[in-house]
Amino acid sequence: MKVRFWGVRGSIPVPGPSTNRYGGNTSCVEVRPRGGWPIIIDAGTGIRRLGKALMDERFGDGAGTAHILISHTHWDHIQGMPFFSPLYRAGNKLHVFARQRGDTHLQAVFASQTDDPYFPVPLSALEASIEFHELVEGNRFTIDQTVVTCTRLNHPWVAMAYRLDCDGASVVYCSDTAPFSDILLEHEFISKPPTGAPLPRAIADKLASMRASLVALCQGADLLIYDTQFTVDEYKLRPHWGHSTPDDAIAIAREAGVKTLCLYHHAPMRTDEAQDAILLAARWTAKAHGDRFEVIAAHEGLEVVLGDDDGLVTP
Amino acid sequence: MRLRFWGVRGSIPAPGPETNRYGGNTSCVSVTTADGELVIIDMGTGLMHLGNHLLATEFGKGGGKATILLSHAHWDHIQGLGFFAPVFIPGNQFVLRGHGRSSSMLEGILEGQMNPNFSPLYTLKNLGATFDVRAVVPGEPFAVGALRVTAQPNPHGTTTALAFRLDEGERSFVYASDVGYGPDGPSDAVRALYRGADALLHDTTYTPADQARRQSRGFSSYEQAADAAIAAGVRRLITFHYDQDYSDTDVDALTTACRAYLDAHGGRDIEVVAAAEGLELAL
Repeated sequence: MKVRFWGVRGSIPVPGPSTNRYGGNTSCVEVRPRGGWPIIIDAGTGIRRLGKALMDERFGDGAGTAHILISHTHWDHIQGMPFFSPLYRAGNKLHVFARQRGDTHLQAVFASQTDDPYFPVPLSALEASIEFHELVEGNRFTIDQTVVTCTRLNHPWVAMAYRLDCDGASVVYCSDTAPFSDILLEHEFISKPPTGAPLPRAIADKLASMRASLVALCQGADLLIYDTQFTVDEYKLRPHWGHSTPDDAIAIAREAGVKTLCLYHHAPMRTDEAQDAILLAARWTAKAHGDRFEVIAAHEGLEVVLGDDDGLVTP
Repeated sequence: MRLRFWGVRGSIPAPGPETNRYGGNTSCVSVTTADGELVIIDMGTGLMHLGNHLLATEFGKGGGKATILLSHAHWDHIQGLGFFAPVFIPGNQFVLRGHGRSSSMLEGILEGQMNPNFSPLYTLKNLGATFDVRAVVPGEPFAVGALRVTAQPNPHGTTTALAFRLDEGERSFVYASDVGYGPDGPSDAVRALYRGADALLHDTTYTPADQARRQSRGFSSYEQAADAAIAAGVRRLITFHYDQDYSDTDVDALTTACRAYLDAHGGRDIEVVAAAEGLELAL
């Protein structure tokens, strides 16, 4: 399979010369099983260019099928969806997967994104057929030859991590999440960092169990894509924002025995030079610990080939 | 008054080396009056960068006051609000005047983007700054310090977008982004709003060919902008809201063609200013 990065930024798109190398588009990753249809993870602004590329394939004739796995519906993970060209061509089929919500159907969440007065084209006017699939953590399902598994993350309003197994290879997408040590983030608004007092037993246990499930999901993965928006100092000020540091990602990668760790969901104000320094520091941390896995940083246009791949991209 | 452009792009932010010169952030313009009032027009992603800039002023200490004019609530005009640093500092005060049948409906629209499905902020009430949200009545001027502001709606696809005229003494600036006129061009009220402005910022999303292909989207070509500028007898035409797929080279060509069109249609005296991120203009 091939994994290609179309948007690697967190929170908000950041155009400008200081992000030219890593890219300023928000979260979007394409996983292309050998000879298969695209499986897209998240629909940040990066999905706009992916959509254009897909229109050169069978999607341009209204004969394409895409599956989109959404980690969560915060803006930076869905704001590119209305600019995804295959949606405007009759005959294309889209399947959108995301975590089930307590009080709102997934379709209603997506419909409200483009309702009047926010966007000129409502969901109901799109030409392609779109089917919504609601997930709960622990679900296991297949998309053609790909097996998808998922577990929940520690993020406000709750995000989902996905593992895709195909072509004798595996990739895990883990964004967005806070580490599992200081605070439990679910459905309440939390305005301030925690006091630092020990967590109640029930909460500490829940976090430990979420972390264990994530490590199990990542076990032996060829590629682990992980939210590393914060430096350690930034995390200390904002543990309640729901993002991790490279140190947190390295610890999970180590325990799960992954082959490559990919830093992802870069902070909006992070310049290319600052991101270079973060990558070098993370490599040093892993090397100093004797870790065997490689550390890379996601940038727009990065393509990683995993397992069997015969170079065929179009079914 | 002094204008500064923080976001000049239409529809969706467009990062990449090919947009470095004009910029890829969505709509946001600041206007500073002679007596120091700050007016912000539209809240695209450019607003984040204005906010970071304002932290060095009274806004960094919770003593800032500004008026925000909102043309309409499409995402590219409101998506910067949750990333505007001054809103997180208690004490800062914002008056937001925009498009809506009532003030409460307008506030509800802004609440919609803070909904926890979409934003970790959950609600406007979690912002530290205070917001006084008021729907604008078209044609009824209101004062911001010594500035007189008038708004009129323009057709914009299936909806309308407000155009704003800001008069300060003898100087005047009109902001008219996201405009798709019918076959008869601007309404009489809008013609009057544009009349004789020192600077008319006008939607120039498209070339004429692209505009003709995408008429239903409710945007203007540079020719329609130039026609409006000539008819209103303005001194300057500011091009704005460039299509997300236009590279810097495409925008260069668009503004050059706009200049040529003005020259050929009786607008030789109108100066063309191509809006670009970071550009400042004193009127």
